[in-house]
Amino acid sequence: MTRDEFLLEMDQILNLPAGTLRGHERLEELTNWDSTSLITFIALAETDGVCVSPSQIGTCSTVADLLHLAQVESTPS
Amino acid sequence: MASEATTLQSEVLNALRFPIVVGDILRKRQVLKKELLKQTNLVQTRIAILGGSTTTEVKSMLELFLLAQGIEPAFYESGYNRCFEDVQFANPELWNFNPNIVFIHTTWRNISGFPELLEAEVEVEHRVRREMARFESLWEKIHTELGALIIQNNFDLPRFRPLGNLEASESFGNVNFVLRLNAEFASYARNHSRFLINDILYLSAQVGQAAWFGQSCYWYNFHMALSPTASVALAHNVAAIVKSAYGKSKKCLVLDLDNTLWGGVIGDDGVQNLILGRDHPVGEVFLDFQRYVKNLQRRGVILAVCSKNDAENAKEGFSHPDSVLKLEDFSAFKANWNPKPENIRAIATELNIGLDSIVFVDDNPVERDFVAEQLPEVAVPNVGTDVSSFAEVLEHDRYFEVERVVQDDLNRSAYYSSNAERSAGQARFSDYGEFLASLEMTAEISPFLPVYLERITQLINKTNQFNLTTRRYTSGEVVAIAQDPAFVTLYGRLADKFGDNGLVSVLIGQVFDETVQLDLWLMSCRVLKREMEFAMFDVLIEQCQARGIRKIIGIYIPSKKNSMVAGHYASLGFISMGGASEGRELWCYDVPPTYSTRTRYIRRTAEALLAAASPESASAPSEV
Repeated sequence: MTRDEFLLEMDQILNLPAGTLRGHERLEELTNWDSTSLITFIALAETDGVCVSPSQIGTCSTVADLLHLAQVESTPS
Repeated sequence: MASEATTLQSEVLNALRFPIVVGDILRKRQVLKKELLKQTNLVQTRIAILGGSTTTEVKSMLELFLLAQGIEPAFYESGYNRCFEDVQFANPELWNFNPNIVFIHTTWRNISGFPELLEAEVEVEHRVRREMARFESLWEKIHTELGALIIQNNFDLPRFRPLGNLEASESFGNVNFVLRLNAEFASYARNHSRFLINDILYLSAQVGQAAWFGQSCYWYNFHMALSPTASVALAHNVAAIVKSAYGKSKKCLVLDLDNTLWGGVIGDDGVQNLILGRDHPVGEVFLDFQRYVKNLQRRGVILAVCSKNDAENAKEGFSHPDSVLKLEDFSAFKANWNPKPENIRAIATELNIGLDSIVFVDDNPVERDFVAEQLPEVAVPNVGTDVSSFAEVLEHDRYFEVERVVQDDLNRSAYYSSNAERSAGQARFSDYGEFLASLEMTAEISPFLPVYLERITQLINKTNQFNLTTRRYTSGEVVAIAQDPAFVTLYGRLADKFGDNGLVSVLIGQVFDETVQLDLWLMSCRVLKREMEFAMFDVLIEQCQARGIRKIIGIYIPSKKNSMVAGHYASLGFISMGGASEGRELWCYDVPPTYSTRTRYIRRTAEALLAAASPESASAPSEV
């Protein structure tokens, strides 16, 4: 998955218009970043063959940190 | 714009059908919900989810799958693992919510205690009884005080087997214990009519245990008994159960023939060269699909053929010695060179069912696409071209889910076949009255009897055309009404010299002093134009006179499907009570002191007359 694809996916998970997230956003400032979206993130990473745990997510501050955790290609668009 | 909206909604609905891509649903759940809520004529329901674990994901997924079935739920969710407390202590919030359905989402983690190692059989049995007592007290209280339909998970198997394979055979084994509890749950379901099992033992096997539980963090961090993937499968299954309770299951399976029911083309290959039977690997696949279809037909699904073939050639295919399906299994048969949408419309007309009651299966994707485009109400599953997957696809989308199988279901094909004889008989008469008289019709019309309550509930939730109000009732509500002296209830069975049509008409009226208001009056389309409505009305007048009721208020609520009954009350001599309001027309009939029966061609049978005279006819059912 590319960086742009990941960001679009995060837009969907957080019910944001496509193209909203750029990666620098702080998770604590995102209104819809709650347990449901966290579970969805874990489940989607699992379907992509990547195991992430809540404690790992707990170390993330920004969307870009999640991107790194999900082992997404870091090449910007 | 309208067609774009329709296309988008169609895509949304397809996302929730086989093959379901769990990732897509997880990503797009908010968008899916928003689009699904744009549908019109959604049936409202109130569902209480009582959880033995976190239920947020289950609720979210259940909402989507219910909306895809045209049902808009309002939810009550118990606090975490409070399912027993919420009921035992009659949580006012739950009681005020007054659910139509209570879904009890418990799993193996909610079993209060597993047997100890080497525990004696008698102690294990006590443990089973204690567990059952715990659940039964919950169910009885829901039945008695809420009257809701209960959907109860049975138990999945624990993740680990400390005893290995001995878990299955030793009475103190966890697997053995779970299977015993599931057998007890099943027994309760067989003996109670407002109680259905959500078979998570089967679902967990279907999904696979690893995917069912998912990563350990789902339980330890979120106390979710199931993974999000499993929640999708579970919600899909519960939605199928709810759909059947609301009469939204399909009624008819329309099948292509060549390379769908047998290998080869009957018109070119002839019956002797069809690929069908155990002597050929592909033949065995077609045989198994025929067996699957036959099992559907046996329990009441109507079968029809829609094939591009000469009719005589097509029929000959069923004379193949290995054919499990026979010509008489089909209630409609269209084999010609007309476009398939045209034939499917004709089948719907002939069988008196809506297009939305039909599932169409064809190995040819071009034919499938054409039917799906021309008849969007018809369900056209993407079965592919490999017949070995046809049954799996049909299974997955639970088109024909049922709450119960009742005797009338087993006779359904016979009803439609005997209808063909009636139609042929009618052609011999120039006077319709003479034809009706020749049928020698008899009717059993009586207040609701316990033995018919399941069929009555089924009819209430399936009938759309001859239905004055399209009001739906759950089985719990039907049972309560049957016992309540504040209601007038009537069912009608109709038979004639060609056969028994079964229970075909239902009427429910609520009594207010000297007035009865008819909240429900419906009739199966298979007995239209036989004057059965007159027979029902005659008995209603009898009931009113016996109870001192002087006025009958009839309600007509127009819908997309019931325009045929717009003039029903006028035809019976009711007077309109003025302009329609809130989509309802009110009609009034003054019960005369003396009344001449309208029925000309239907004789009431002695059984019904005796039942009507019996004091037990209005009593409580033997269980629930």
